[in-house]
Amino acid sequence: MPKRLQFPLFLLRKLLKVAFTVWVVTTLIFFLIRLMPSNPIEQYIQNLVIQYGMSYEEATSRAASLFSLDLSQSMFAQYLEYLKDAVRLDFGTSFLSPGVQVSEIIAARLPWTLFTVGTGLILSFIVGTALGAIAAYRRESWYEPIISGLSSFLSAIPDFLIAIFLILFFGVFTWWGRGSIVPIFQLRGNYGAGVNIGWNWPFIKSVLDHSFVPILTYFFSQIGIWVLLMKGSTTGCLNADYAVIARARGLRPRKILTSYIGRNAMLPIATEFAMRLGFIIGGSLIIEQLFVYQGVGLELLKATTNRDYPLMQGIFLIMTIAIVLSNLFAEILYSLLDPRIRVKGGSKHA
Amino acid sequence: MNTNTPHPTNTVPSASTVPSASSVASENAKGAAMDPRPVLLDINKLSIEYRTKRGKLKAVHEASLRIRKGESVAIIGESGCGKTTLATSIVHMLPRNATISGGSIGFFPEGKAEIRLEALPEKEMRAVRWNDIVMMFQASQSSFNPVAKIRTQFLDTFQAHNPEISTDDALNRSRELLELVFLNADAVLNSFPHELSGGMKQRTLIALSLLLDPQLVILDEPTTALDLITQKKILNLLNSLRDSCGFSMMFITHDLGIVTQLADRVVTMYAGVVVENAPTADFFSTPLHPYSQGLLRAIPKLNATFEQLYSIPGSTPDLVDKMDGCLFAPRCAHCHARCLTEIPALRQTDNDRWVACHLYEEVTHGAY
Amino acid sequence: MLKTQSENNLKTPQEINQVLSTTGSAYQLKGTTRFKRNMRHLREALFSDAIGAFGFLLLLAIILMSVFGPIWFPLDTISNPEVILNAPSAEHFLGTDHLGRDIWAQVVSGGRELLVLAFLTASIAVLLGLFLGSLSALIGGRFDEIMVFLADVWLTIPRFPLLVVMSGFFTLNATTLAIVLAVLSWAGLFRTIRAEVLSLRSRDFIEVAFMLDMPKTYIIFKEILPNMMGFVVANFTLLMRAAIYAQVGLVFLGLLPLDQNWGVMINVAWNQGVIYNPDAIWFLLAPTIVICLLILSLVWIARSMEEFFNPGLRK
Repeated sequence: MPKRLQFPLFLLRKLLKVAFTVWVVTTLIFFLIRLMPSNPIEQYIQNLVIQYGMSYEEATSRAASLFSLDLSQSMFAQYLEYLKDAVRLDFGTSFLSPGVQVSEIIAARLPWTLFTVGTGLILSFIVGTALGAIAAYRRESWYEPIISGLSSFLSAIPDFLIAIFLILFFGVFTWWGRGSIVPIFQLRGNYGAGVNIGWNWPFIKSVLDHSFVPILTYFFSQIGIWVLLMKGSTTGCLNADYAVIARARGLRPRKILTSYIGRNAMLPIATEFAMRLGFIIGGSLIIEQLFVYQGVGLELLKATTNRDYPLMQGIFLIMTIAIVLSNLFAEILYSLLDPRIRVKGGSKHA
Repeated sequence: MNTNTPHPTNTVPSASTVPSASSVASENAKGAAMDPRPVLLDINKLSIEYRTKRGKLKAVHEASLRIRKGESVAIIGESGCGKTTLATSIVHMLPRNATISGGSIGFFPEGKAEIRLEALPEKEMRAVRWNDIVMMFQASQSSFNPVAKIRTQFLDTFQAHNPEISTDDALNRSRELLELVFLNADAVLNSFPHELSGGMKQRTLIALSLLLDPQLVILDEPTTALDLITQKKILNLLNSLRDSCGFSMMFITHDLGIVTQLADRVVTMYAGVVVENAPTADFFSTPLHPYSQGLLRAIPKLNATFEQLYSIPGSTPDLVDKMDGCLFAPRCAHCHARCLTEIPALRQTDNDRWVACHLYEEVTHGAY
Repeated sequence: MLKTQSENNLKTPQEINQVLSTTGSAYQLKGTTRFKRNMRHLREALFSDAIGAFGFLLLLAIILMSVFGPIWFPLDTISNPEVILNAPSAEHFLGTDHLGRDIWAQVVSGGRELLVLAFLTASIAVLLGLFLGSLSALIGGRFDEIMVFLADVWLTIPRFPLLVVMSGFFTLNATTLAIVLAVLSWAGLFRTIRAEVLSLRSRDFIEVAFMLDMPKTYIIFKEILPNMMGFVVANFTLLMRAAIYAQVGLVFLGLLPLDQNWGVMINVAWNQGVIYNPDAIWFLLAPTIVICLLILSLVWIARSMEEFFNPGLRK
C-alpha cells in the first residue's frame, strides 16, 4: 500500500532533477558566452566595428539580433529572456546561414545521426548481450577467453581509432590483389553524388552503402562493453541462491536460464541500454568527422570552428537534454523491471 | 553426560559379519527387529571427491546411513566435515569439481521401484528433485527469484513436474499449503519476495517444498538466518508438518539444541567419515565416539565460567592427505596403537546404534 | 575522567603515536613503514597476474622510448622533397611523411607531450577527487547530500562535446587543457572515492582514530590515504586514458594547437590524404597503433590493480 503513494513521489523527484540539470547546463552556456573576459558577443561586435566599419551601436544591435539578446537590458533580464527562449527550444538563428533557425538545422541533421548511432547501438546490444551470456554460461569452454579477451580489447580502444582501423581495413588495404572491400569514396559523406533524394532504391542503397562502415564502427566500439557487462551480470546470477534453488526445484534448465537467471541478469543491462539511448543524439564528433558524415556531431564541430554560437549552444543543449531524459527513462525502467527498487527509491530520504 | 571416559560396552563377539552391501529390500520385506518402518533412503559406503589444485580431496569417505519412512535424521559435525556435500550429492547438485567416486544411494519411494540415485541421468534426476526429494539449501532468505511474484514461482514448480495440472488446481493446492504454515495465502501469493519478512519467507519455502508431496525433505541449516523466536516457530512447524504429511527428514545443523527438538536420530560426521549413528536420546545420554563426547562437552553451560569452556584440542585433518588410521586419532584422548594403523569401520554396537571406533567391539547385528 | 580529557586534547601526531603505543594499538603509525608496506603491495598487485605485469612493462617501454628515443632518432627538421610519402625502406623503416621526414622519429618523439599531459591531468584530477570525495564522506550530512546531487547532475553533461564547445570560447593550450580536463572529471572520481572512504571509515582502525579525536587532516593523510593506494593507482591510470582520449581527439579535430604528438600525426596524415596513398599508410597507422598500445597498457594496469585490491569486484 505505501508503494502506490511512493511511485509518483519518486517520479516527481526525478523530474525535478531533470529540470535542475537542464537549468544548470543552460545557465552554464549563458555565462560562458556572456561573462568570459573576451566574451564572443563583445568579440563579434568588435569584429564588425573593425572589419566593416560599422558604428558601435549598429554592431551591437546586429549582434543582439543574432544572439537574440537585448543587450541594453540588465544582465539578469537578459538571462531570464534567454531562459524563456531555451524552454521553448528556441535557440535563435544561425550565424553562418542568417535567417535559418537553429532548430531547423538540428532537425535536418538529427535523422542521420540517429540512424547510424542508433543502429550501431542496437546491433551491438543484441550481439553483445548474447555473447556475454554465452561467455558466462560456458565459462569453461575454449572460446570463452577469446570472447572476453576481444571484448576487453575493444572496450579499451578509443572509438575513433577503431574507425581508422576499419577505414584502412575496408577502404584502403587491398586484399588478394582484388582491390579494397568498399570503394573509398563510400567512406565519405551520407550518400553518393548524383542520386535523387527520396524514397527510391538507388538513394536508399547509397545511404546504406555509405553508412555501413560508420555503423560497424559504432558496433565495434560498444560491443565490448555489452559483452563484459552481460558476462559479469550473468555470472553473478548463475551462482545466486534462487538459481540454485530453482534447479533443486526440478525446473527445466531452459526455464531457469530465461526466467530466473536471464531476467535478473538483464536488469542492470537494460538500464544501461536506456541510459545510452541519450548518446544517440550526440553521436561521436570524431567519427562523423572521419567519415565526413553530416550528422549532429559534425554540425557541432562546424559550428565551433566557425564560432556559430547560437548553433553551438543549441546543439549542446539538445545533447544534454537527451542524456538527462534517457537517464530518467533508465531510472523509471529500472523501477518497473525490479520490484525491489520502487520501495527503496521512495524511502531513501524518508 | 559430563563423562569423557568411553561408555563401557559388553563386547559380545559378532556371530555374523554380514557384508556391508546388505540388501535393504530384503530387510524391508521381513521387517527388521528394531525399527518396523521401511527404509526410504539407503546411503551405502558413499565416497565423494573434489578435484582441487592440490590433488583429490576426499570430502566424504565411505559414509553409510539409512533414513526410514517418517524418520528425522540430524547430521552434525564441524564446518567442512562433509555434511553438506553428502546431502547435496543425493540430488546431484554437487559443485562441478566434485564427483561420486564410490558407493551407492538407494531410494525406495512408496509404491515405486527402487531408484539408484548415484548414477541417475540428469534428466531423470530432474523429475526426482522436489517431486520425491526436496533439497533446501542454506540461504532461504534469497531462495526466491526477486523479480517474480511468489505465485509465479509456485506455478513454475507445478509446471516443471506436472504440466497437465490446471492453474486453478495448482493455486488451490498452493493456498492449502500456505495456510498449513499459517500464512495469509492470497496475500503471500501476490507478493514479491522482498515484501515478505525472513520468517515468512522461510515458511513460504517450506510450503513450496511440500507442494508435490515429497517423501524426503533435506534441510541445510534450516534456521541459521532467523532470530530465536522465529527459529522456535519454524521448528514447531516442521515437527507438526512431519506428523501430518508423513515425510522423512534429513537436516544439517551445528546447533545441538535444534537436534534435540527435531531429530529422531543423530549422525555425527568427522572429516568426511560417519563416526557415530545413534537415536537422539541415546546420543545425548551416552555418546560413544570420543568426538561425539567432545562435541557434547563443548556445549557452553549457563553456570560455567570462561575458563570452564571446553573445546576439542587440535584441528580437523587435511583431507587431501592420505589417511592411514582413524582420522580423529591425533585429537583423541583414547588413541592407541591400533588407531594409527587401522581405519575403524562403522560397526553396530547396540540394538540401534553404530560407531566407528576401535574402543568398541561389534555386537550381534552385523555391520552397517 | 581526567585521563580521557587529556587524551581528547592531543593534537600532534607524535602525541597520538604515544597514546596509541601505550594503549597497545596494533596499528603502526610510522610513516616510513607504512609507505614501504604499501609499495610492496603495489609491486605485488602489478605482478600478481600476467596481464597487469605485461601492461606495466608495455607502459615502461613506451615511457623509455619517449624519453630516450629522441636521442637516437632525432626529428628531421628539414623537409626532403625527394622522399615524400615513401613506403618503408631500410633508411626510413616506417616510411616518410608528406614533407619527406622520417615517421619512426616522429613516433618516438610524439609520446612525450601526450604522456606528460596525461600524467598532469590525472594528478590534478586525483588530488581534486581525493580532496572532495574524502571531505564529503567525512563531513557527511547536508554537505554530503548536496555534493552527491551536484555530482549526479554533472555526470549527465556530455564531456567531449563540452570540451569542443569550450574550445570555441577559450584558446586551450596544453596546461589549460590539463586543468580543464581534470576539473571536468571531478564528479566520477568524487563518487568512487567517496564510496571508498565511506567503506574504509567503517573499519575498526579508522573508528579508533575518530574515537581518539585525532585531527581530520591527520586521519585523511595518515590513515585513509595510505589504504587507498591501489585504488588510487587504478583510477589514475583510467584518468590518464581519458585524458589521452580527449587530447588526441581534440588535436585530431584541429581544436587544440599542440606541437608534436601522435594525435597531431594522425591529424596531419589524415588531412594529407594518406588513405589515398597506401604506400605511406604507416604515417597514419603507426601513431594509431602506439596510442592503442599506450591505452591498453593503462587499462591492463588498472584492471590488475582493481582485481588485486578488490577481488570481489569482478569474477
